[in-house]
Amino acid sequence: MSESAILEVNNLYHTYMEKTPLEYKALAGINLQVKKGECVAVIGHTGSGKSTLIQHFNGLMRPQRGEVLVDGQNLSDPKLDVKALRRKVGLVFQNPEDQIFEKLIGDDIAYGPLKMGLPLKEVRDRVKWAMELVGLSFEELKDRVTYALSGGQKRKVALAGVLALKPEILVLDEPTAGLDPFSRQELLDRIALLNKQEKMTVIFVSHNMEEVAYLAQRIYVLADGKNLIDGTPREIFGNTEILRRHHIAAPQTVEILAHLKQRGYSVDLKAFERESAAKEIVSILQPFRR
Amino acid sequence: MERGLTTRKIVIAGVLGAVAILLGVTRLGFIPVPTAAGNATIMHVPAIIGGVMQGPFVGLVIGLIFGVSSFLDATIPLFKDPLVAILPRLFIGVTAYFSYLSLKRVNEYAAIGVAGFIGAFTNTLLVLIMAVVRGYIAPGVAVTIAVTNGIPEAIVSVIITLAVVVAWKRLDHSGNKKSKISGEM
Amino acid sequence: MAGFEFELSRNITIGQYLPTGSLVHRLDPRVKLLSFTILVIAMAICDTYVGNIIALAFAICLFYISRIPISYGLSGVKPAIPFILILAVLQLMFYNKVASGGTVLVDHGFILITSDSIRLVIVSALRFIEIIFLSSVLTLSTSTTQITHGIESLLRPLKYVKFPVHEFALIITIAIRFVPTFAMEMEKMMKAQASRGAEFGTGAWWRIIQRTKDVFPIIIPLFNVAMARAEDLVLAMEARCYTPGNERSIYTKYKAQNKDYIAILFCILFASLLLLFPFPY
Repeated sequence: MSESAILEVNNLYHTYMEKTPLEYKALAGINLQVKKGECVAVIGHTGSGKSTLIQHFNGLMRPQRGEVLVDGQNLSDPKLDVKALRRKVGLVFQNPEDQIFEKLIGDDIAYGPLKMGLPLKEVRDRVKWAMELVGLSFEELKDRVTYALSGGQKRKVALAGVLALKPEILVLDEPTAGLDPFSRQELLDRIALLNKQEKMTVIFVSHNMEEVAYLAQRIYVLADGKNLIDGTPREIFGNTEILRRHHIAAPQTVEILAHLKQRGYSVDLKAFERESAAKEIVSILQPFRR
Repeated sequence: MERGLTTRKIVIAGVLGAVAILLGVTRLGFIPVPTAAGNATIMHVPAIIGGVMQGPFVGLVIGLIFGVSSFLDATIPLFKDPLVAILPRLFIGVTAYFSYLSLKRVNEYAAIGVAGFIGAFTNTLLVLIMAVVRGYIAPGVAVTIAVTNGIPEAIVSVIITLAVVVAWKRLDHSGNKKSKISGEM
Repeated sequence: MAGFEFELSRNITIGQYLPTGSLVHRLDPRVKLLSFTILVIAMAICDTYVGNIIALAFAICLFYISRIPISYGLSGVKPAIPFILILAVLQLMFYNKVASGGTVLVDHGFILITSDSIRLVIVSALRFIEIIFLSSVLTLSTSTTQITHGIESLLRPLKYVKFPVHEFALIITIAIRFVPTFAMEMEKMMKAQASRGAEFGTGAWWRIIQRTKDVFPIIIPLFNVAMARAEDLVLAMEARCYTPGNERSIYTKYKAQNKDYIAILFCILFASLLLLFPFPY
């Protein structure tokens, strides 16, 4: 095991409805390592096993074969303290706003910490901290009713509900799906803040390559329950060949650069960041300027 | 409430019928509270909610769906008898509706709560009466079950009916209520 | 808490359909529903040993005719065995204290066993198995669409007393359609709340309100999701100009054939036999 990995998955298998006609292999030997403080994206098509994989991270699913280690602790251990694990690994499901059930925003966010049995003062501090991290005003919103909120705000409440557990690792399944462009960008900025400022390890699943390009330091691409490739965004997006073969869209910047390259311009395909891509484009415009 | 069947009534009856089936076939329909059976069922709550929100016909149909699913899914001989499993369930949503209607003008919350109680008790009572009539249990046992099972179940039903209906009707935006974590510390 | 406890949606077997193409499968669904109803009522009323043994034999025969392995029926009976035993004990111990009848066989302190209480125990166990078998054959040989079409078509005469037959069938269709959807939603909800540290059945066991509130994190969102889906569906239906009560054309028409008439006639005769024939035991 590598020294600094906070989460490690070794050769993990999961089969649904084993030994029935409906048997379905969701995971077929996945490997993954995430270092403390990293921001890692998991991408792949529907049915590639992403959701099954992340449910192993906080013990909702136990390894059938292979192993999952969180902070050195083996999740196959029958004596595992599941509650402690779920505090350490905060899991935010798709459309998490569905899980809001309390009338008042403050109560809903406080649900997790209250279940932990923390003193009320501590709970209050955590709720305040979580709300401010996601950009909701504690004083203004804690006593408001949940159903009066907009979609984007509801999602922030749900995210705060998980953050209030103060997890070391935050796992998000399609965090921005279904949001309007403005709320989407705002949420992405908040997640980036959690990663950089609060030093939280972030793992997220996404279909949106712009989002992956914006947030991720490293990317895992899954296909049919197996690892396809992994690496830094530059390595992954630079590899247009393999992306195209597996019908995985690249961010628009990469698409543009690839088109330019096809037409014979010398550009660096790895320059996927908006600024670098812009520089590449400007560089090929230089000759025309003269 | 408008008379006759609207698209909304049809859809809500169907959707709540699905919830009733789901509560029946999973463990979630049972809440571990002290009763003779060791838990209280909440499978009849969708029928009550349907009756309160959309009228007696919707309540009746959801009751029917609940009854048929409990009949098909029964693991107790008692409920493999359609006269015990289905017939009494038709009345859950209907009695709930009429209790709600009669008290609505007095106090909306009380009306919803009482509907939850009456609906649940209709279920317990009619099922037990049918069970005695059909000779599955003795009258003495039935009375004991009515008290030990019926009352906790009715309380559970009141709590859930109130929570769900109040949230849906958005009755509760009185600004005075504070969050649990709101006090001075 | 292991993961498999959350796997609801994959374990629900409602609307299980096993196409074998047998005679029973090919019968008109209306005939099957009607025969099923007639037979269940007859079985529920018949309370003789011989009658119920004949009815059980008939139900077993149905499995062979419809080419469905009988294990499907037995799997429905298996979980019920403890209940049957407990009920048997209860009935033997308490029943005849109040209702007297039959010859007393054992009278020893608490226990009073008469020929009537034994009959009740055995007959209700048999009846239970018969009806389980019968409903297994019905649901395994008829798809849910066929069942709803059948119900709609059978209830059509009720139109004349202003009963909304089509709307009723639509309600049933919607209900069956949404069970798997909600099961998945519920599974997601349970996982999401467990991730937030939810626990169920905590607190002292007599605290009914506390224990009920423990299920709020799942029950309330479940109803909310159901209502949101309902609103979407209302909108979609109205956008396509659905109006309750309108005449609609049908594209599945059932036409009863000779085999259907024979089947229903046979079931009626069999039911009359169970009800009217004076079986000696």
